[in-house]
Amino acid sequence: MENTKTKDITFIKKFLISVAVLLLLIAGLVIIFDPFYHYHKPLPFLKAVLNDKEYQCVGTLRHFDYDAVLVGSSVVENNDNDWYNEAYNCNTIKAVRSYGATADLCYLLDEAFSSGNKIDHVFYNIDPSSLSASSETTYKSTGCPMYLYDHNPFNDVMYLFNKGVIFEKIPYLIVNSLFTDYDESLSYNWAKWKTFNQANALGLYNRTLEVSEMMDEKAYEEELLANIDLLTRQVENHPDTQFHFFFPAYSMLWWDGIYRTGERDAYIYNEKQMVKALLSYDNAEVFCFQNEPMVITNLENYLDSIHFSPEINKLMLDQMVRGEYRLTTENYEEELDKMKDFTEKIVNELIKPYEEQDLLTYEQPPGEE
Amino acid sequence: MSFNSFSFILIFLPLVVILWYTLSAMKKWKIADYMLIASSIILYGLFSFKFVIILLLSAFITYEISRLIITSRDKKILLVFGIITNIGLLGYFKYTNFFLENISIVTGRKIDSLAIVLPVGISFYIFSHIAFLVDTYREIVDNYSDPGEKVSAKSVTFTEYLLYITYFPKIIQGPIALPGEMISQFRDKEKRILKSENIAKGMQLFVIGLSKKVLLGDNLAKIADYGFLYTYYMDTITGILVLVAYSFQLYFDFSGYCDMAEGVSYMLGITLPQNFNSPYKALSVRNLWQRWHMTLTRFFVRYVYIPLGGSRKGKLRTALNVLIIFILSGFWHGAGWTYLCWGLIMGIMVVFDDLGIMATKTDIKKSYLLREKPLIVIPEFLGKILTYIMFLISLVFFRSKNMTYAIQYFKQLCFFTWPGFLYKTASVLSISENYLIRQAVNLVNKSLETPVYIASFAILMIVSAFVMTRDNARELVFGEKIGKGYTFLLVILFVWSFISLSQVSTFIYFNF
Repeated sequence: MENTKTKDITFIKKFLISVAVLLLLIAGLVIIFDPFYHYHKPLPFLKAVLNDKEYQCVGTLRHFDYDAVLVGSSVVENNDNDWYNEAYNCNTIKAVRSYGATADLCYLLDEAFSSGNKIDHVFYNIDPSSLSASSETTYKSTGCPMYLYDHNPFNDVMYLFNKGVIFEKIPYLIVNSLFTDYDESLSYNWAKWKTFNQANALGLYNRTLEVSEMMDEKAYEEELLANIDLLTRQVENHPDTQFHFFFPAYSMLWWDGIYRTGERDAYIYNEKQMVKALLSYDNAEVFCFQNEPMVITNLENYLDSIHFSPEINKLMLDQMVRGEYRLTTENYEEELDKMKDFTEKIVNELIKPYEEQDLLTYEQPPGEE
Repeated sequence: MSFNSFSFILIFLPLVVILWYTLSAMKKWKIADYMLIASSIILYGLFSFKFVIILLLSAFITYEISRLIITSRDKKILLVFGIITNIGLLGYFKYTNFFLENISIVTGRKIDSLAIVLPVGISFYIFSHIAFLVDTYREIVDNYSDPGEKVSAKSVTFTEYLLYITYFPKIIQGPIALPGEMISQFRDKEKRILKSENIAKGMQLFVIGLSKKVLLGDNLAKIADYGFLYTYYMDTITGILVLVAYSFQLYFDFSGYCDMAEGVSYMLGITLPQNFNSPYKALSVRNLWQRWHMTLTRFFVRYVYIPLGGSRKGKLRTALNVLIIFILSGFWHGAGWTYLCWGLIMGIMVVFDDLGIMATKTDIKKSYLLREKPLIVIPEFLGKILTYIMFLISLVFFRSKNMTYAIQYFKQLCFFTWPGFLYKTASVLSISENYLIRQAVNLVNKSLETPVYIASFAILMIVSAFVMTRDNARELVFGEKIGKGYTFLLVILFVWSFISLSQVSTFIYFNF
């Protein structure tokens, strides 16, 4: 009996001590390499290997050194940070969130502004759909790892004792830092794995069967006002930062899509209201690359109806540097109305050849999925 | 909060164990009871606060009915009322939409489903309520002594009843413990003395269960989920392997949970009834049900089969009674025709075993429905294989999302095709454990990635089969069959499982 008791106590001791030692070693390993940059910037001998924006964006914004932030959805990911560094003589970091909802991006901006870095430039990509999106952040509802976003040290166990981090992310970080020519300025870049051409763009465009009646342009007024409030507060609260807002060059397929869903007028109205609000600040400028026929009608530039090749990212930056496509209080309404006119041309003329050649895929009617 | 979570392992469990023994050492028995009830409610309430209300309300109503049974003259009416109330509650939450759907099909009128969320564990605690009502009635009316040897129904306080119902090691997935066997232990002060054996063995059971669930069950689930989702694309060989993988998943998921529950309870000094005993070693389907979800089988035997007459009312009635309890068992597992079919198949197979046509040498009953001795006596290994195959076939119904899918699955199994869907199925095993190998072979030749997935699948199946055919957790922990590297193995399994509780998800890149 006594022997059994001793054996049991020995087991408990051995087990608990061994587990504690192993777990401490694992936690130490994660803290040292920190592939999500939750605790510190990269170690001197390692590169900043960034390819998981949901896991890494917040950490990099909190711990890296930078003075410019490139903010936006997946369409900004193919930018080379060095382009911005050279053009504006700055040190750029990306703050990216899928869908580019205003609340999500403002959350990232808050992280950047509270990081201790002095931010001189914010390059902010405004996706038209983000203006009508909810003004609540979506990180939690979309299953993002909140233990990396909040400041609760207890839920860090999810990071410290994480099989994916130990078996995948740390080896990936080491290999890319030491054995490959990984380019740190191409953070979150996905272009090299994708092909941009007309076939892809058309293949991934799911055209609605019916053309809906055009909505009232104020259909998203409530969401719009909340988003304007979020974004203008950023500009207002940081008068020493120069904000460069821009509307990206979505393809004509996207414009065809929102024409058919009846959202075009509401989207253009939203853009006008947002531009008007932003232009009332001295530290904000707005560019609109939407009405760029050479780009948006050439489907060879696209992966789908929205995502364009890195060349278009570079082109937009160059135009921004040259002051082209800039919206002012005098011209913004006229410029955005031109987009409305151009949409008519798209749906009545430019898309027709694709219709005639049967190159468009239509969404299935309900019940036939 | 589930057992396989950081918060349970790091905070909840250690805290409850410490408080339980500290309060007990201070002889604060009542406070210890309240602490355990409160902890159980917190654990349960983390799923949904609404569920707690339903749980407590049902416990209160059932307890009050049991008091009335003791004091009233119309004991039987009260018993029936109590059972109907509980079945009604279960029926509302679990079966309303099933019935609406079928009424809709039969009448041809579209009836919208109701937004009813099934409370976690309701199927288990409703059965516990019914067991308590029946045992109370039997003790009062028939001087029923089975669970009442130590615990008289009259003497059970509401606190004790609540402790029995909410007891966190069993509230979510059972086992369906009987009131007597639990309350007698809660009353036994000896059980509340901290013993190193309880902690050590409890920890061992918990680690074995956790690793079964997390390292084997969860990975096998990836294969099974994928296969049953894409039934229409599946070929014959993939169909067989997916089915086997599902049978393994079910085994590790449930036996893993049972081991964890048993281990946790053992740490608190309370022994839960055995619920799982290597069912794939069963020699017949009847024997399988004496080994798989044993407390459910026990419940049906005590509270349905015996009251229906059991084997006392003739051969035909015996067979019918068996069929009834298996159909009920199927329906208990899920509200759908597939579950009913599964239950019916199981019932038919058990009746077949009882006919006396075939049996293994070591599993011969005293008498059979048709004959005294079995017509054919088969070797043990053949009995095990046939039993497993029969169970495997029935699982097509158990896992398919509806009857159409189940029938399609059988078609895929019966008409041989081989378009190589196995490669695609195996590729769901893109897991952290094989990440480095995948990356390494990618450098050599990208097409070598497929063999890595196939090898991972094969390893998973072989390890699973190996684990299932060895001694089970109870036999290992209580059987003193422990080798030298045992502690080391448990440490590795625990740490591996522990770091598997959190993983990095892949977000769909282009969901712009």
